[in-house]
Formats: sequence, structure tokens, C-alpha cells
Amino acid sequence: MSIFTSMNTTASALTAQRLRMDVISSNIANVDTTRAKQVNGEWEPYRRKSVTMTEDNGQFSSFLNQAMGKKENAGNGVKVTKINDDTQTPFKLVYNPTHPDANEDGYVEMPNVDLLTEMVDLVSATRSYEANITVLNASKSMLTKALEIGK
Amino acid sequence: MAINPVSLSVANTQIIEETNKLSANVTPFEAQQSFANTLKDAIASVNNQQVQSDAMTNKLINGEDVDLHEVMITAQKASVTLNATMEVRNKAIEAYQEIMRMTI
Repeated sequence: MSIFTSMNTTASALTAQRLRMDVISSNIANVDTTRAKQVNGEWEPYRRKSVTMTEDNGQFSSFLNQAMGKKENAGNGVKVTKINDDTQTPFKLVYNPTHPDANEDGYVEMPNVDLLTEMVDLVSATRSYEANITVLNASKSMLTKALEIGK
Repeated sequence: MAINPVSLSVANTQIIEETNKLSANVTPFEAQQSFANTLKDAIASVNNQQVQSDAMTNKLINGEDVDLHEVMITAQKASVTLNATMEVRNKAIEAYQEIMRMTI
């Protein structure tokens, strides 16, 4: 239904922000994980994850309509295309000789998760979610106002 | 500035022509059927929204993999479509009552 286009777009953004939140919570939960996966028999600490969002260009029909000049394409929202591991930031080395995963010098490789960055991302995700809900409510109030035409 | 005089005769013949065109092409039965079908389709789509909202709520309660906001949005869509239906119904009833109030 075309009257709900903006609602559908907002719904896709809400879903994307929820997924982003899930990834952030995974990052914060695994801030001390030293055994995330095994590489060549050696345990590797958890790698920070982040999401890649792309514009959802939607269906073929919307492109066709646009090409024929019938209707402008207002976009169909956003989607998360990839959850990627952060391979750029190196693991943090912490001196803790009693740790079972410590190397010969007594250093332990800790995940490359920075709590501060994660908290900022968390606030950002929450605010984006709120902004999208504001859009949704505005869209709904427009529809309800339209129903008052002629009253 | 030229203001066109209101010509009743032209308007009248136009209306009569239009009415003749309508009655020539469509019988009252056909018109009724087509209106009934349109109404039926519209109400079915409204009902569909309600059913969808119901299904989403059930899924959420049963702990299936649905987002809370999707459930809320489906419920809001159902609410908006139902409100629109109510407005159409109110208008139809208003017109009916207007006709019934007509003094003959």
C-alpha cells in the first residue's frame, strides 16, 4: 500500500538500528573474551564487529516507474548488508602472567573492543531509533489528520 | 473583463447527456454489482490488515523471531486503515440520512 511507504521505510531503519544494537551489545559483552575462535590451533581473542548499511533500492518496478517518468523513486529505506570484523585495530596486550592464554612473556591478547567507542555507538543507535520513531509518529499523525478532512 | 453568463440550458443538456451516457452503458444491476465488488475488495483489504496485525501479535507472544517495532507498526497500519473505513462509512450513512430526511 502506497500510503504506508514512509512507514515501511522507517520500519527498515528501525530494523537496521536494532541489528546495530545487537552487534554493539555483542562487542560489549565480549570485551574480555580471549577465546573467540581457533586459528591454526591457537585461540584468537574476539574481534570487534561493525555493520555496513546500504540504501535499499527496492523492487524492479520502482526503477521501471522512475525510468518511464511516471513516478519519482522516494527510496525504500535502508538495509544492513554486512557485519564485518575489525581487522585494522590491533589486539590490546595486557600483562597478566597468571592468565591461561598468556604468552611466554606473560602478555595476554585482549579483544580490540574500545568500551568508550562502543558506548558512543550505543547512544548513536538509540538516538537514530528515536528519530525514526518520531518520523513514524509524524507520518501517522499526517494520515490521521487527512482523515479529518471534511469533518 | 468578460464574465461568461451562466447558461442553464447548456448545463442542463450536458447533465442529461451525461446521464444518458451512463444509463446507456451500464445497467443499474451492473452498477450495483461493480460498487458491491469494490466495497467488498476494500473491506477485505482492511480485514487483511487486521489479520496480519493479529498474526504478528501472536508471533510476538509465542516468542517467535519478530521485531517489537514491526508488531507495533502493523498494529498502527491496521488502526489507520480501519479509521479510514469508518470515515467512508460515516460519509455514506450521512448521505443516506440526508436523502431520507428529504421532504416529498
